[in-house]
Amino acid sequence: MATEPLLKCEHVTVSAGGRKLVEDVSLALPRGQLVALIGPNGAGKTTLLRAILKLIKYDGRIEINGRIGYVPQRLQYDRTLPMTVLEFMALTLQKRPVAFGVAGRVKARVQELLESVGAARLARSMIGGLSGGELQRVMLASALQDQPELLLLDEPAAGVDIEGEATFTELILHQVREHNTTVVLVSHDLSVVSDITDQVVCLNRTLKCVGSAKDLLTAETIAEVFGGHKAVYGHHHH
Amino acid sequence: MFDVVSNYFTNDWQALILVSVVCACLTTGVLSPIVVSSRLAFFSDAVAHSTLAGVALGLLLSLDNPLTLMVGVAIVVALIIASLRQVTTLGLDTLLGVAMAGSLAAGLLMYHAAEKGYAGLHNYLFGQVALLGPTDMWALVACAVVAVVVGARWGNRFFLLAVSRPLAQARGVPVARYEFLLIVLLGLVVSLSVRAVGLLLVNALLIVPAATSRNLARSVRGMFWGSVGVALFSGLCGLFVGDYLLLPPAPAIVVVAVLLFIVSQALRPLLGHHVAEA
Repeated sequence: MATEPLLKCEHVTVSAGGRKLVEDVSLALPRGQLVALIGPNGAGKTTLLRAILKLIKYDGRIEINGRIGYVPQRLQYDRTLPMTVLEFMALTLQKRPVAFGVAGRVKARVQELLESVGAARLARSMIGGLSGGELQRVMLASALQDQPELLLLDEPAAGVDIEGEATFTELILHQVREHNTTVVLVSHDLSVVSDITDQVVCLNRTLKCVGSAKDLLTAETIAEVFGGHKAVYGHHHH
Repeated sequence: MFDVVSNYFTNDWQALILVSVVCACLTTGVLSPIVVSSRLAFFSDAVAHSTLAGVALGLLLSLDNPLTLMVGVAIVVALIIASLRQVTTLGLDTLLGVAMAGSLAAGLLMYHAAEKGYAGLHNYLFGQVALLGPTDMWALVACAVVAVVVGARWGNRFFLLAVSRPLAQARGVPVARYEFLLIVLLGLVVSLSVRAVGLLLVNALLIVPAATSRNLARSVRGMFWGSVGVALFSGLCGLFVGDYLLLPPAPAIVVVAVLLFIVSQALRPLLGHHVAEA
């Protein structure tokens, strides 16, 4: 069926220690959309993402009709680890241990992926020396290696300068328009929602609203999702 | 000095020692980058201390060669620590402190009960290559083969896990299974190397080689081969020079490795390795 949704969640509930982190979320996302998943800190956004990635147990049903790519939030890693970006990406692209060198075809593929995110010059850099924005590009390139149909980006704006953020948005938009990928941008900051967003999903443990940015970003909805805390709404305009 | 070295190639008994030391160092050199990158330094130390309980249990049961029991006890202790880690809210360092103290104390009690004292204990604490037999040598050869095969087959997964557990998970790596594999492997390696290097020193061989090569390497490849090189060089140099100067080999090997580490630490700023502050 051509109109089959790419991602379908039915009554998804995630509990931990007797508390419901995400409750009764039902949601369907079509292909080729830029979706913003917003909600305040602790609203269960990352939890829902982890359920979609099948990393945690959940009740309900999650159906995904395609490959998933994932860029985690603020990747915590050992910055003193001597590993080049090329080696990091080769870890999941080749069977041969990277300690024995990176295969020629893998080098070419890594270069191609890095070029697609405007980070071609980073192949020989050490992952520990990357800036926030550079790391995000590398993680995006790495997430693109299996040509995902659903791309989940957890708090992509974190740790990126404003200039970097603008071009990162362009890269994401390119993925949506050219490759028909559905990109889910997770954020606690309403400023990621703009006229380029096709759909906005507001989450605060339960699903608060789903719809187009224009229809949803009213003072009432924001008050409901963010509990009246409007400071985050400051620099948004629509 | 030449005679000292050539004896290791002509005398059967010394050749056995040479092969054992080379295999122990090759194993630890291969695994060291994974252990250090995965921050398992204290973990392998705790497992090393638990081997004494295996030795003592073997003595209590009057076994001729406690090798199997040592390996068994070390792996069981490693698995207990790994499973406790999943359920407790305590920090890993605290958990390892308890496990290390507990298994060492239990081992000492059993050792005392079996031997009516602590005579001969130093052989296990500090290692005694002179006591190595053919069984030990073949066990160490097998250990080296296993370490190389595991490193070659699953090294990429271990490094991905070391970079970020959630990322590895999201990439479909069965994280728990790989952690289990690494823990069992460490238990095996540590317990088999204890007779040659001693339980107080075996951990040094798992940590120092990669700590040294990390100081100078700019890639996983450099870190890996540097670690293997440091481990083998320390092993051979410590064995030969120790013998020449009539010093015990195990501490000599560790001292050579630590000296190399100090040199690498001194060279680091000269190479202009700048790593961004986290």
